[in-house]
Amino acid sequence: MRKKYKTKFPVARIKKIMQMDEDVGKVAQATPILISKALELFMQSLIDEACMETRAKNAKRLTAAHLKKTILDKDQFDFLRDIVENVADPQGASGGADENSVSSDTKMEEDDDAGESSSAPPKTRAPKGEGKRRKARNAVKEEDEDYD
Amino acid sequence: MSDTERGNDDDLSLPKATVQKLINEMMPDDIACAKDTRDLLIECCVEFIHLLASEANEICEKETKKTIAAEHVITALKALGFDGYLPEVEVVLQDHKTQQKVKDKDKRSGRLEFSGKSEEELLLEQTRLFAEAKERQQTQQH
Repeated sequence: MRKKYKTKFPVARIKKIMQMDEDVGKVAQATPILISKALELFMQSLIDEACMETRAKNAKRLTAAHLKKTILDKDQFDFLRDIVENVADPQGASGGADENSVSSDTKMEEDDDAGESSSAPPKTRAPKGEGKRRKARNAVKEEDEDYD
Repeated sequence: MSDTERGNDDDLSLPKATVQKLINEMMPDDIACAKDTRDLLIECCVEFIHLLASEANEICEKETKKTIAAEHVITALKALGFDGYLPEVEVVLQDHKTQQKVKDKDKRSGRLEFSGKSEEELLLEQTRLFAEAKERQQTQQH
């Protein structure tokens, strides 16, 4: 458990962001508080994973490219693909076909099965109907890497 | 912390300074975060909120409820593949419920039986309050 943060997300702001969606109506008091916690865990997870990429590249700064790679690799972050679409590809060229990537495990916080190489998907979305923006459904148990 | 008038609620994002502080707390000591990476991270966070809110909302509607409750958020996390977050999120929920109970108790003990006044004092107070109310009524009638 990492309950060590001094800073917290502003709960009222979270509620406003939620209500940007017209479908969202009333929200119980506890709800944005829970989302704040989930968001914290999410951010830590994203940072952890992205930093692994940073280290793999022997870099000292976490860049957008590292984030992008992390997002593309991990099922759990599928809903973020659109956001990183405009980010320069990690290898500089469009559609790095021969990238070695750590295989995307469908487990939550672990990404430990190194050693499997697969072609990272270029800018198009991964197959198996993974075009999830807001509606990432049952991301668990689906591996969508193309193995050669 | 006053929310000044914003042109568009659709430009809503998370406060940069807060997020920057959190990033600093979360990053390992030997790696720095580039500025545009921070902005990108913020976008990811906002998207996460939308994702979770949308899913929770759907779950809420299926139960024909109108208010998105804590339980809906928890179910949403499961549905979206964030089971790993559940233990800590549930702790937060329990803490919140406990806090609410304390607040309710405090409200109740603001009532007279706990106010620490003797019966005579209370009687005097009551007489006084009635007199004031009567006066107010008479002034209103004029």
